[in-house]
Amino acid sequence: MDIAKNIIFLLLFTFSFVSFAQNNFTVSGTVSDVNSNETLIGVTIAIPELATGVTTNEYGFYSITLPEGEYAIITSYLGFKNAKTSVLLNENKKINFQLEEEAEILNEIILVENVEKTNIETPQMSVNNLAVKTIKKIPVVLGEADVLKAIILLPGVSNAGEGSSGFNVRGGSADQNLILLDEATIFNSSHLFGFFSVFNPDAIKDIKIYKGGIPSRYGGRLSSVLEIFQKEGNSKEYHINGGIGAVASRLLFEGPIIQDKAAFLIGGRASYAHLFLPLFNNDNKAYFYDLNTKFNFRINENNNIYLSGYFGRDVFSISDSFINTYGNSVGNFRWNHLFSDKLFSNLSLIYSDYYYGLKLDFVGFNWNSGIQNFNLKYDLKHYINNNLQINYGINNIYYQFNPGKIIPSNTSSGIIEEQLIQKYANEFAGYIDFEYDITKQLSIEYGLRVSNFVRLGQDEINIYENNNPVTFNPSLLIYQEADPIEVSITRRKSKLKTYTNLEPRLSISYRLNSNNSIKTSYTRLAQYLHLLSNTSSPTPLDVWTPSGPFIKPQLLDQYAFGYFKNFNNQNYSLETEVYYKKIQNRIDYIDGANLIANNAIEQVILNGEARAYGLEILLRKNEGKFQGWLAYTLSKSEQHTPGRISSPTNGINPLETGINNGEWYNTPFDKTHDISLFGSYELNKKLSFNANFVFQTGQPTNYPIGQFEFQGLTVPYYGFRNTERLPNYNRLDVSATLTPTKNANRKIKGEWILSIYNLYNRKNAASINFDRNNDTGVNEAVRTSIFGIVPSVTYNFKF
Amino acid sequence: MIKKIFFTVFISFLFLSCEDVIEVELPSNKEKLIIDALIKIDNNLPNTAIKVKANLTSSFFDEIKTANLEKITISSEVNNWEEELTEEAPGLYSKIVATDILKQEELTLTISYDNQIYEAKTTYVSSVAIDNLTQGEGTLFNDDETEIIISYTDNPNMENFYLFDFNFGEFLVSEDTFYKGQLFEFSFFYDSALKVGQSVTISLLGIDKSFYNYMNQVIVQSGGNQGPFQTPASTVRGNIINTTEENSIQNYALGYFAICETFKKNITIE
Repeated sequence: MDIAKNIIFLLLFTFSFVSFAQNNFTVSGTVSDVNSNETLIGVTIAIPELATGVTTNEYGFYSITLPEGEYAIITSYLGFKNAKTSVLLNENKKINFQLEEEAEILNEIILVENVEKTNIETPQMSVNNLAVKTIKKIPVVLGEADVLKAIILLPGVSNAGEGSSGFNVRGGSADQNLILLDEATIFNSSHLFGFFSVFNPDAIKDIKIYKGGIPSRYGGRLSSVLEIFQKEGNSKEYHINGGIGAVASRLLFEGPIIQDKAAFLIGGRASYAHLFLPLFNNDNKAYFYDLNTKFNFRINENNNIYLSGYFGRDVFSISDSFINTYGNSVGNFRWNHLFSDKLFSNLSLIYSDYYYGLKLDFVGFNWNSGIQNFNLKYDLKHYINNNLQINYGINNIYYQFNPGKIIPSNTSSGIIEEQLIQKYANEFAGYIDFEYDITKQLSIEYGLRVSNFVRLGQDEINIYENNNPVTFNPSLLIYQEADPIEVSITRRKSKLKTYTNLEPRLSISYRLNSNNSIKTSYTRLAQYLHLLSNTSSPTPLDVWTPSGPFIKPQLLDQYAFGYFKNFNNQNYSLETEVYYKKIQNRIDYIDGANLIANNAIEQVILNGEARAYGLEILLRKNEGKFQGWLAYTLSKSEQHTPGRISSPTNGINPLETGINNGEWYNTPFDKTHDISLFGSYELNKKLSFNANFVFQTGQPTNYPIGQFEFQGLTVPYYGFRNTERLPNYNRLDVSATLTPTKNANRKIKGEWILSIYNLYNRKNAASINFDRNNDTGVNEAVRTSIFGIVPSVTYNFKF
Repeated sequence: MIKKIFFTVFISFLFLSCEDVIEVELPSNKEKLIIDALIKIDNNLPNTAIKVKANLTSSFFDEIKTANLEKITISSEVNNWEEELTEEAPGLYSKIVATDILKQEELTLTISYDNQIYEAKTTYVSSVAIDNLTQGEGTLFNDDETEIIISYTDNPNMENFYLFDFNFGEFLVSEDTFYKGQLFEFSFFYDSALKVGQSVTISLLGIDKSFYNYMNQVIVQSGGNQGPFQTPASTVRGNIINTTEENSIQNYALGYFAICETFKKNITIE
């Protein structure tokens, strides 16, 4: 295979750098929390004499090569005390730093490096970190701290509102986000139709979201990478922490298996089963639960292994005649190995699946669908010298898609068992990425990802006249499903279609001085999976489908430019970015498309394009009693599905209208203005206050331009797509955290969180529907708003 | 149908959500002709009354007005047969014809209105009888519901599409993909409590794939509330074609012309 050859060449090429180091020595090791041995991600290891430094990677490892000499090494990390260590570097050294957690209150005078602080040095841009501590401060509905609710307060990130799953990054759709939990892909990030995310904040160590400038080690989704690492577990002592909230309760247990060598963590979360009982008078249940598990074993200095798992389910049942279950399962084995003090490797074997099940007894069937994947990843990080780091690796994912299986639910059911045609695919990628400091001012990160996607054979595949599964009816001006002319049966090993894409990445940063820098980046990404969803935000029953003979992979080009500044003694930071992105092969659906239980989904899909551009401003205060940020986004996100280009031979009518008469239209997640303000004020050790305010332009929607009647039904009809907007959205939430200090010496430490969501009880429209009131016979515009004012109390404890 | 149930569950789930009627200013659009020409065939009857409603679209909050057609005819090219429908009431055109002629070949409905000629073509589609209607005890979302269990036997050896008319503006479409040739049974839940002693007529119509797609969209678009899930709003185009200005983006007609065998059954609510 050519690709493999190229990668081997690239790998060999990198080793040629090794010979540079003369009279240079390497200091390497890990940084961890002294109390738990939990490794710390993103710790700054600074060598002030040389004005250089590194940060620890996802596994807490660092390596830096310096000229021979004596240095003071300063390690710093948010919420931890800075440590200063003197090192005489006359040979390669291994130093493992252990940091001590700072008391809760940050003294204003102490200068603390902050993970959330803007990094003005590295070329990496369009990335935001959030500490779990910050996430827990953000007031949320019903008091359940939530990762996704926190990231949508960042610029460039939004969602379709309350009760909607997923999130949109820089005008991209929700299926364009790569969500990684301990490196495993999560396909559905929401519980209870989007009210809560699947991530239990107690079990999380670190969160990072890339909105652009995505390094070449990531691929497969266009808009963003949300990378979440779970805690490893305390290998020093046993701990329990948990919380009791208005919706759900949490419990997390961690401790050593072998002191300082092996640890486990097990965390569970469940909502109350009959929480929604007042809903109906019937016997019903609506709840979710999830389980996070992790095991780590430090074999020796050079080898660590991790096993991690996630299992979550949502369950709804109504009078036993309707039962709906869905959720993710993830299992992951990882092996960290140090080849040398400069070469770090990680091997991951990951299994992940998403399951959706439905029992409809009153129609007489059970239904299940889902996606499974097996992922092998091998990543190497090569710390050549203090100016150059090279990351390279390979990744292979095998997918199995089950669009649905229908099974009779009882013996008297007339349903015939049927498995919709399963689809199979393999995605391989190899990448190399150079992080290179050219001068003290100029740094560059460039890389290449080569991705190869093979749609494998399946039981049956339709063949259409002129290879065209969608026909256009020129007299009605509508698209219609084409009838297949033949059905072909293929072997699993055969390749129905192969796509190979080169995905170059480039980021450059230029430091104007120690507090100001400008950065620019270019990213190309390919996405081979599509979530079939024609609602404004994904629903749990939406199914994923692979690219293949009829559906092409989505391709993104993104350009971004930014200015970054730290000021006022680094107490404040300012990040401004502009971006432009263009997406090829964005799918849309023909009118009236049926996406569920459709064996020939190609018959309802049209390939189009999308574009988005915007300006993002993030002003943060990182230190002191008052912390917080102001985020503003000005943006546009549009889609275009023109009539297909006709040629005389393929029989397509040249008058094809496309969607929206071939004109650009707003995507459902286009929001012109998006302002988020978050503030947290620590009054004293006992009491702190948090608030956030959100203002957004209303989402695009459709208002009918008229109505008609058919068989007594009143049917609204519409003009061009997404030209109207819902009313502007705004909301203020507040919360107070009370930590009783009188029992500070007690073993059990508790805190109370009182929160009020939507303080001024604004009825924000989630949707406006047009229909006829059956009682009065009058046509109405009905606004649905989800949450009014919602007060709640949560109690958290640890011991 | 799965999606519809899913949406219903979702909306019910939003226990804290609230709905209110608001005022919205709507864009307006040129009036369009609406033709409602669903002809139900009862094969026990030698003659069938064709009834076609002709109306004009209006802004969503206005009243729909009737259309005064210049001429409306039904014809069969193959049989060289044509009948003109007569105005029975404003906007209602009718004609009694022999049932057999409607079943034979492709039929064309031709309408003259406002200097435009509209045409629609359709072919008779057969149906199957409702085997049984029974009243169930179950409810799904609230105690007021009335459960009716419908059973019918799918016509084997062919792809079938069905339209159920439950009265009270309640329709359901079904395709036989997962129950080919089987005795199939499902429950329909009427939202509000039907009165004891009330007689309810349920019709089962045989339809083709295009009409199935059409009714599916009509039901979705008229169903209104789908909660915060905004489904793509579309203009549901039927099979009425403006032959004077073909391909016109503005001057099109709405509605459908279909001839469907229809079986009815009554049930008295207990």
